Formats: sequence, C-alpha cells, structure tokens
Amino acid sequence: MRLRVAFLGLGVVIAGVGIALFLTQFLIKTPPAVTASATSNSTNGLPVVNVTLTTVAAAGTGPHPNWVAYLNDSGDPSTYINAPANSVIHMTINQQDTPTGLRNEYFGLVRGTIDGSMKVNGKTMQAIDPTTAAHTFTIPDLGVSVPLLGVSADQKGNPPQNVVEFDFKVPGPGLYRWQCFVPCGAGTLYGNGGPMQTLGYMAGELVVS
Amino acid sequence: MPQRRRTLINIIVGSWIVLSAAGDLALDLLPFPPGAATDIAGSETQLIRILALMAWPIFLAVVGALVFTLYVNRVAPAAAEPDAQSLRGNSRAQTAWIASSTTIVLGLAILGTITLVNDTTIPTVAHAEPAAPFEIQVIAQQWYFTYRYPSLGGFESDHLMIPADREIEFHVTSLDVTHSFWFFAAGVKADAVPLHDNSVDMQPQKIGTYRIECSELCGIWHGSMSDDHAQIVSAADFNTWAQQQQQLDAPVMKFLPPYSHTYVPAPGAYGS
Repeated sequence: MRLRVAFLGLGVVIAGVGIALFLTQFLIKTPPAVTASATSNSTNGLPVVNVTLTTVAAAGTGPHPNWVAYLNDSGDPSTYINAPANSVIHMTINQQDTPTGLRNEYFGLVRGTIDGSMKVNGKTMQAIDPTTAAHTFTIPDLGVSVPLLGVSADQKGNPPQNVVEFDFKVPGPGLYRWQCFVPCGAGTLYGNGGPMQTLGYMAGELVVS
Repeated sequence: MPQRRRTLINIIVGSWIVLSAAGDLALDLLPFPPGAATDIAGSETQLIRILALMAWPIFLAVVGALVFTLYVNRVAPAAAEPDAQSLRGNSRAQTAWIASSTTIVLGLAILGTITLVNDTTIPTVAHAEPAAPFEIQVIAQQWYFTYRYPSLGGFESDHLMIPADREIEFHVTSLDVTHSFWFFAAGVKADAVPLHDNSVDMQPQKIGTYRIECSELCGIWHGSMSDDHAQIVSAADFNTWAQQQQQLDAPVMKFLPPYSHTYVPAPGAYGS
C-alpha cells in the first residue's frame, strides 16, 4: 500500500514538474534575435547598420518546419531585430520563396525607404506587380513597406533567390512591430493564420534601443 | 413631523440644491469626449454633457435619501430590539418617484433618438446646388487600414487625410476578416466587413491630428491596428498632400484594381 502511494506521489510530482517545464518553456521561449551589425558608413549624418534576413517557403527547422519564415544568418526562424536608435538600417533580404500575391495591391509599392525605392538583384525598383510578391517587409508605425519579389519558376541559382536591399531610418528607442502583408500562411483562414500570426515567422518586432 | 426631522430634511434639500448647482457648473466646464472635431462628435459630446448634468443631481439625491434614511432609522446599540412596525405606502412619494423617473427616462430616450437620427441623416447644405460629399474609402486588412480617394484618381494612402471644408462620406470595407473602423474623435465607428460596403457621413469642424484604431478583435496584431497620424487639414493643405501622394503612388497605380465599394481578392491571394 505504501509503495503504491509512493509511486502515485512520485508520478504526480513528475507530471507536475513536466507541466511546469512545458509552461515555462512556452511562456519564456522566444526566437533568437537578429542584431544589426555596425558599419563605418553614414547616411544623412546617421550611422548605417546592416541587417540580413532570408525568406523561405519552409523553415526546415524548429517547431514548425513546414511554415514559411524569415530566417537569420544561422538558418533559424527569427523576426526579432535589435537596432540602435537614430540610425539607418541597410536591410538585405535574400528572398527565396515563390509568389503568392498581395491581397491589397497597394502593398506592391515601396514606401518609407530612404529614397522611396529598393534594389532587387542590383536593379532599382519603386514597385512590383502585386501578383509577383512573395512577402512584404512592413513596419506600419514607421511607414516602411517593401514588397519582396517572388522567385520565378525558371529562375537560376542555388538556391534561386532575389536579393532585395533597401535603407530606412530608425527613430528613437521603442518597439515597432512588423509583419508580412502577403497572406502566405498556406492552409489557414484567409492565409493569415499560422506563420502570419506567430512571432519568429512572418510577424516580428524591431527593438530600437 | 418632529421639528428635528424637518430641520434635517431642510438641511439635506438645501445641500442638494447647492451641491447640484455647484457640481453642474463645474461639470459644464469639463471637456467631454469625443470633442468637436466633426458634427457627429459635437452632437455626441453635447448629449454626454446633458447626461452628466442630469446624472449629478440624481446621484446626489440618491445619496441624500440614503443618508437621511440611515440617520432617521438608526438604532442605538444599547436600545432594545423594537417590535416590527406596520409600514404603509406613501402615495405622494410613490407618485413623485414614478413621475420623475418616467420623465427622466423618456426625456433621455427622446434626446438620444434625436441625436441618433441627426447623426445618421445626411445634412442638407444651404447652397443652390449642394456639393456632393467627398468620398473616402477605408480598406481594412489584417492589421492595417489604408484609404482610397476615388474622386482623385483612386490613389491609396497609409494615412487618413481629410479636407476640412467638405462633407465626408466614408465607405468602409475589409479584405479579410471583420474589423471596425473607429475614428473616436470624429464620433465615427463603422464595421469593416469583407464584401460589404458600410458608409457613414460626417462634416469636419476642427483641424487637427487624430487617432484611428480597430475596435473589433481581429487577430494577433489587433491591438496594434491603429494610426496616430489621421489628420483634418485645410483645403489648401489637403490639395498639396493629395498631389504629393499621387506622385508617390504613381509606380503602383497601374496595379490597383478599379475603384469599387468592395473587393474580391484573387483566389491565389488566400494562401491556400
């Protein structure tokens, strides 16, 4: 009898610890952050920092390997960006996903960047055909929105990708949310579920300090 | 009625009159929301002000009656438990209570109805040929509002810019789930429903910068679906802004769909 009670007690303790660990991990776990790297360049008197991300159709790792995602240099899903206040971010996005298309065609327009344009594989562009967009990098509070050209079926490269570059100003300290405006959460309601509503995939935060 | 009780009633009634008058004078100085940015907001503010001015004396009367009752019917701790008393209705008090309550409730209902009808009726302009309302389309999507100006070529903008000299006709729709366009300072709140056009009119009255936000829970970034840069500006400033915005939008204009009160996103844009 005592042995049974002891085993029961042990089981309850183990289950309790397991649940506590699971909840703790769930609550405190955040994707790795991408920290902007300093450069010796300046734009309009503001220091320029570099941030590089990669967009892929499937993360290939983490709890949702099949979800579309932004990846950091290490290939992990990551949408937390740390940047210094009052600087210019030179963003490079290696866009490797195919087009899904924009729900609101207006997001095909580049806006909020230093010169109102972006470079796609070295070519300056101010807008793209909304049907060719794979994702957008949009920070609503800063008025920044850049459509990311999808990789075409016949595009060369290993992996085939469009390198999208643009610069935008970062204001004072604060937390600015950003998201993709292409409804690319395949299989979810209106394409805006799953990765679109999960930090680390297609929604993120720019932490300026 | 014992003299002491009569004196107490006089004190309470006198205090009620003084405090009601002083409180209402002070309340009337307060800036009630939502303000006077538009005709709708102005009438809502006036209604809220009237409600507050009526509510303060009523609140004091309830508190006064409570104090009077507690004081008159108090029992000293050492006193013996009195026998149950036979209570009879006071027909004068009941009549006064029912009549005053009915008058107040019906009065508020009439006031509210008049305000509601006025707010949902397109005002007539005292011109020989009234200018047509200036149409602005509000397009909601997870998680941002954008705005189209059909009479200016159909360009679209991140921020809401309103000319102060025109009656405005908002047309609100959504491209995905249900949102709600809440322009609090203007007294405007309209649901944004996919494949539906929800229209509301207003007359701007005060130049300024205002906040727009979504008031329908719509997903993870619902709390961030707001904009603090909505503006009511002069006609000249609006024209300048519109010209600049048309230039900024030029590269994407050929890709925007023809203006419509609702939009059906292409099936491929549903991500599935």
